[in-house]
Amino acid sequence: MNALALIAPLLERLAGELPATAPQGHNIVGAQIAIGSLFSIHILIAGLVSGAGELGPAIEFLGFMRQRRGYDRLAHGLGRFITYYFSFSSTIAILLITVLLVGFWGHFWTTIVTIAWWPLFIEAWTFVLQVSLAYIWYYTWDPLRGFKGLHMAIGGLLAIASFLQVYMIDVVASYMLTPTTPQNPIRLVLNATSYPLTVHRTVGNLAYIGFVIGAFCAIRFVRAKTVQDKAFYDWAGSFGLLWGISMTLLQPIVGYSYAKEIQLHAYGSWYKMMLGTLSPVFLWQITLLGLMFLTATIYFARRLRTNGARGAGLLKVMAVGLVLTTLLAAQPYHLGFTYAAVASAGLDRPFWEGGLINPLGSMIPWKVLALMSYTLIAIAAVVWYLRGLPGVVWGAARRGEQRLLMLMAVLTILMMVTMGFIRENSRAPFLISGEMTIQGQQNVQPTVSPSPSGGG
Amino acid sequence: MGRLDAVYDWFDERTAVRSLVRKGLYEAVPKRGAWFYTLGSATLVLILLQLVTGIFLTLVYVPSVTEGWASLNYLKQHDAFGSIVRGIHLWSAYILLFVIGLHMVRTFFSGSYKRPRELNWVTGVGLFLLVLVMAITGAFLPWDQAAYWTAVVVTNVPAYTPFIGSFIRALWRGGDFVGPITLSRTFGIHVWLIPAILFPLILAHLALLRKHGEFGSYVNYRGAYRSREGVDVPPVPPQRPIEPPYPAVPTDELWAAPLETEDFFPFQTFKDGLVSVVLVIVVFLLAVAIGAPLEPIADPSTTSYTPVPEWFFLPLDELLLLVPQQLIPLALIVPAGGVLLLLALPFIDRGPERNPFERPAVMVPGGFAVLFVIILTLLGSGRLFNL
Ligand code: HEM
Repeated sequence: MNALALIAPLLERLAGELPATAPQGHNIVGAQIAIGSLFSIHILIAGLVSGAGELGPAIEFLGFMRQRRGYDRLAHGLGRFITYYFSFSSTIAILLITVLLVGFWGHFWTTIVTIAWWPLFIEAWTFVLQVSLAYIWYYTWDPLRGFKGLHMAIGGLLAIASFLQVYMIDVVASYMLTPTTPQNPIRLVLNATSYPLTVHRTVGNLAYIGFVIGAFCAIRFVRAKTVQDKAFYDWAGSFGLLWGISMTLLQPIVGYSYAKEIQLHAYGSWYKMMLGTLSPVFLWQITLLGLMFLTATIYFARRLRTNGARGAGLLKVMAVGLVLTTLLAAQPYHLGFTYAAVASAGLDRPFWEGGLINPLGSMIPWKVLALMSYTLIAIAAVVWYLRGLPGVVWGAARRGEQRLLMLMAVLTILMMVTMGFIRENSRAPFLISGEMTIQGQQNVQPTVSPSPSGGG
Repeated sequence: MGRLDAVYDWFDERTAVRSLVRKGLYEAVPKRGAWFYTLGSATLVLILLQLVTGIFLTLVYVPSVTEGWASLNYLKQHDAFGSIVRGIHLWSAYILLFVIGLHMVRTFFSGSYKRPRELNWVTGVGLFLLVLVMAITGAFLPWDQAAYWTAVVVTNVPAYTPFIGSFIRALWRGGDFVGPITLSRTFGIHVWLIPAILFPLILAHLALLRKHGEFGSYVNYRGAYRSREGVDVPPVPPQRPIEPPYPAVPTDELWAAPLETEDFFPFQTFKDGLVSVVLVIVVFLLAVAIGAPLEPIADPSTTSYTPVPEWFFLPLDELLLLVPQQLIPLALIVPAGGVLLLLALPFIDRGPERNPFERPAVMVPGGFAVLFVIILTLLGSGRLFNL
């Protein structure tokens, strides 16, 4: 008996069950979950790949200038990572676009391709460029060892391609939140949130790859057998964290100005984020940011202390400062789910007057103050750690430090997922703010969705 | 030729001009990386260009709220050459700001501010601030809409100084509001007060340069080899030729005197000259092609005008815009503290290392500062495009 005969009844049943076309429009929540989760995975992986495409060449350059072998090894490792993960990451992207977006949100997809034709077109080609350069960069490592300048130039191009690719997709993503009219390519590129989003994501991707390097090296450090390997992973883990936190401390200001543009140009989304149903998530986000800075500072203090290097004491003080700041940042403003709920109950007065408002949780000035304090303490911590580094002996780290590195990556991933969640939900029920909703995406003859050129 | 020599001799006998010229031209400078060391002289040339064009502009410009704008409008309407001079003054200022920034970044990178050149750096920071004040006060003078609103925003910044803030603002504005006195005071500051400090300070900066010699950067020294894995530091040459102004007996084995030098003239002067000439040509082309704009005359009562800050003011403007009103004094501590840190830099970073890649504890915060400025500028310009 052959195998086909065995499963034939099963196949027959399946054929009866499966829809003949893409699942039709009643199950919007299902489609949202499918697209949302796949997008999260996509961002988590693609962010790493493009971050690596930018950071890798930078590390190679640093290594060349400092004439230290560790950098070259780390950069080469990033090259290997890109070549391995590119195919995986592109598979997910293709699945997202060709199957889920076209299948579930057909009207949206045709509309956005029509409007954002140029960015998507350039995006596709920079993608090709990025893949080609990544492979060339990785596979010519040894052959071009004698021509390091040329090799670094290829790396530079790779970094540019990686940036452009993210930039183009950010143009599309920011347009969806703050659409512009008239829709010509230049207006599209310069829409209200395209600058903040691009800076925010580029810096974010760079931070993210740093933290992931940290966690990866922590795991390898624990398993390393030789003295050289221990020294390398100890150093590289510290480097990754240092890099990651240095990038992250730019984010409060970028994120704040991003929020400000959203307030000006997509007030509904902003309101939902700050005072509405998403406000608890936002509160969690700003707390998480404090935890990230805190974890890094504790790592810095511990890593210096392990070798008795100078500066550990002051770093501990900074950690206390970060705890206090995080506590301030974590204060909720309205002690109910949404501000509207509090207001409609007539309780929008300070809690000591019997209301449900906590003035210490207000955005202005307290959360802004907390953001400023995060940034300043984090800068001080980075500088203090750098000052102490000459006293550190690589390879001597203890497990506690490695655990902090791993925790850091977990916090980062939580952060990225949280931000993605806020982003996508702040726009709901729209796919393109004020212009196109999630409803009716699969109608073959659209009745609900307005025409793409409709004003916002 | 003989006659010329005789004239030269005559002068030399009375002024010692020959030894001055010798000293001016034939000192040793580091050989490698010399293109980066042209930025200082390019700054100097652009400042001198400002001086010359500025003098010409004062021949026409009247510092009054009624006549000032009209005098420049006259240039615009009827005097093509005068318009070009005004264009040169503007574009040279813009490029000067850019070049002085590069010069500063260059000397920061190369650790040129370390012992014994701390005061070269401190005078430099002073020059940088003065040039900024020149640029911002210059922006008031046309008294068009842009100038007026710049004046309103800028004269308000010192008001955030604790205790004496509103006094300084009133002093500068000549009252509570921006008006005629503001313009005449700002004019005085722009053409007299600041230049009177700026030019002597430049002389001091150059005198210090000549005293210690051009440091250059780490690539010019034995110290460059020290931080390399598996590369030996070359031995000290037993007998160094005496190359003033570098010390004949090195006080510091690694960093006192460059490994290879060449004469300032004609080698460095050629590069300096080339860079300066190219910059001046660029300034001239921009002055002819774009020129200096002149908007309608200032109208304090207008409601439809959207002020656009000068590009070099953009980062500060964006900071003021982002930060909530109550926190502005706190936020202004950042630039003020930045200036203080800049002044203190040579006294904080005293280690011998000059290689920028081996000085992360200084380069990284420096990088943050630059990144913050770039990010604020980007965000600010993004907002401008959206108006
Ligand atoms: C009006 C403005 C300025 C003028 C005319 C000027 C001129 C010069 C010149 C001609 C040099 C020698 C050539 C070179 O290294 O580029 C020099 C060197 C130097 N300048 Fe400036 N400069 C100015 C502003 C500044 C500023 C803003 C700084 C830094 C804050 C600065 C710091 C230095 C230092 C440290 C050196 C020594 C460089 C070395 O020896 O390697 N200068 N300057």
